[in-house]
Amino acid sequence: MSDEALLSVRGLRTTFRRDGAEPLTAVDGVSFDVRRGQALAIVGESGSGKSVTMRSVMGILPRTARITDGQAMFGGRDLLAIGDKELRKVRGRDIAMVFQSAMEAMNPTLTLERQLTEHLLWHGICNKAEARKRAVRALGDVGIPDPEKRIRTYPFQLSGGMRQRAMIAMAMVTEPALLIADEPTTAVDVTVQRQILDLLAELKNRGTGVIMITHDLGVARYFCDDAVVMYAGRVVERAPMDRLLDDPRHPYSVGLLGSGVEVGGRELPLRPIPGSPPDLSHRPDGCPFHPRCARAELPRCGTEQETLTIGPGRDAACWKVAVDA
Amino acid sequence: MGLAGYIGKRAVRLVLSLIAVSILTFTLLQLAPGNFADLQRVNSGATNFGGVGTESMVGELESRYGADVPVWKQYLIFMKGAVVWDFGPSYKYASRNVQDIISEAFPVSATLAVLAVLLALLIAVPVGVFAALRQNSKTDHTTMFVVTLGHALPSYLTAAFMILLFSATLKLLPSGGWNGPEDMILPVLALSLGPAAVLARYVRSSMLETLREEYVTAALAKGGPRRTVIIRHALRNSLIPLVTVAGPLLAALMTGTVFVEALLRIPGLGLYFANAAASRDMPLLMGTALFFALILMVTNLVVDLIYGLLDPRIRTVGGGSHDGH
Ligand SMILES: Nc1ncnc2c1ncn2[C@@H]1O[C@H](COP(=O)(O)OP(=O)(O)OP(=O)(O)O)[C@@H](O)[C@H]1O
Ligand code: SF4
Ligand SMILES: [Mg+2]
Repeated sequence: MSDEALLSVRGLRTTFRRDGAEPLTAVDGVSFDVRRGQALAIVGESGSGKSVTMRSVMGILPRTARITDGQAMFGGRDLLAIGDKELRKVRGRDIAMVFQSAMEAMNPTLTLERQLTEHLLWHGICNKAEARKRAVRALGDVGIPDPEKRIRTYPFQLSGGMRQRAMIAMAMVTEPALLIADEPTTAVDVTVQRQILDLLAELKNRGTGVIMITHDLGVARYFCDDAVVMYAGRVVERAPMDRLLDDPRHPYSVGLLGSGVEVGGRELPLRPIPGSPPDLSHRPDGCPFHPRCARAELPRCGTEQETLTIGPGRDAACWKVAVDA
Repeated sequence: MGLAGYIGKRAVRLVLSLIAVSILTFTLLQLAPGNFADLQRVNSGATNFGGVGTESMVGELESRYGADVPVWKQYLIFMKGAVVWDFGPSYKYASRNVQDIISEAFPVSATLAVLAVLLALLIAVPVGVFAALRQNSKTDHTTMFVVTLGHALPSYLTAAFMILLFSATLKLLPSGGWNGPEDMILPVLALSLGPAAVLARYVRSSMLETLREEYVTAALAKGGPRRTVIIRHALRNSLIPLVTVAGPLLAALMTGTVFVEALLRIPGLGLYFANAAASRDMPLLMGTALFFALILMVTNLVVDLIYGLLDPRIRTVGGGSHDGH
């Protein structure tokens, strides 16, 4: 683990219990680091395990899920080992989460005031009056006009963009060291998207670490410093953001980003790759990508699985990439 | 639109519906085979009892409605009385006016209904929540099995069984009548079990649905204690739609419960209605039918108002008390 890492995840494995079948491994040995004041992008197709990874770290998995292996070092402690009682003190205070849709992530029947102050009280950060002041300030900080009045409204009374900002205010109000944003801009239009990214960038400048799960490489490029690419519950490549975009190495990343394509445009959707992601209950042997990989070479790709090294610089979980280098 | 306007609109609709119900009931009763006088003659022939007042009663009716008045005119005469809460004398209970019977019997049925629904809620909410929090566990399955049994058991069977147990065998409670609070215990118990089962199922599924909401996860992600999150975010929102089930249940019980009232000799509306139907007591049938319709529609209105009170999303639509964005 590097010294400057804010959060260091190592070998995380999360499974889901199933009726009458082996547990399904949704996250399979994931490792990454997030640094203070930096943003890490997590990209990958739908179902690759991005959300489950983050929910594992936060300890907010559904009851059918189990973390079977791994470490998540944060502030000198392993979040996966300290137990729910201790973890509860960390989540929402030191690590906060921003969800894809504020419409769904905010309780429709509680006022903003209630939702922006309750965790300040839960964590014993301040009293009710002070909590209200902080909540009003946080709403102002995210650019919501007339926050004194707005704090008394319900989420549905705000426009989509305002609501999304209110949710960010809800996450920020405790001044967390790490912010996990799970596709925070997919549910909003481009202008709002820009405002939200600027907001997050400001937090980053103030030293907050950010993990940004996203499908939008334009967003990742604009905002993130480092990136990991996930496929079928594994990290297949890690690299500085610009290096990944300019020169993706893992065949999956290459397919995803489009090799040689100039990534000048801001809107850069992930490019579809022929075939579909593996059904996690029938994970292919060897490299999980081999049924779809243009460079696959049997038998090795169908039997051996490269593991990603941990450390500075970049790496890809593909033996052919190692041969290229 | 203001709240007053909303209620006004609903009231107009209510009156129109009542008129429709009255026409329909009146027509159906005209078409139904047999009439009061015929039935009385048959009965007196067979039992050598009753039917004494029949001829004089017909006279009295003629004095109210006039002899050989066409059916539509009879209807108008009846309705003219109905709007000022005068349904005229009952055939069967010749010495009494229909409205007096209703005024006397309704409070009895209503008391039973309110107590039974309250008790049902008191049982159903904890049971439903308990089962939901242990979804698919043995406790959940056992609880729901018992609930299904409770649902399948008709209230008169429960009542009969409880009379046998508590009155006949244990001699703890009176076996019927309507003189004091101790007379309420058996009917309330008998009436509440079925609704408790219905409501418990509803609470369970509503709770399960709410627990899956993203805002519950989001509240946990803010570091909320499990119990607080469950009560403040999940339970509250899952109980709001419960009024739409409890309301009609209450209305159904308030209009009287024939079997339980008959079995326990309780002078409630259900009993009178059953007797009126059996003897083709036209004024009493019309009166009670209209009254039932009124109760149902008023309950629906009240349910909607309460729903609006509990759910801010509806409140702003119906009441317009908040400004938008
Ligand atoms: N509640 C659950 N029960 C069972 N399996 C689950 C559950 N949640 C996730 N999974 C499994 O974990 C896999 C990864 O899910 P996850 O939500 O992490 O994907 P994701 O990368 O966030 O996708 P998306 O981009 O669509 O959000 C899914 O494909 C699914 O098989
Ligand atoms: S290991 Fe083989 S199958 Fe997997 S990405 Fe590399 S070349 Fe493709
Ligand atoms: Mg996701």
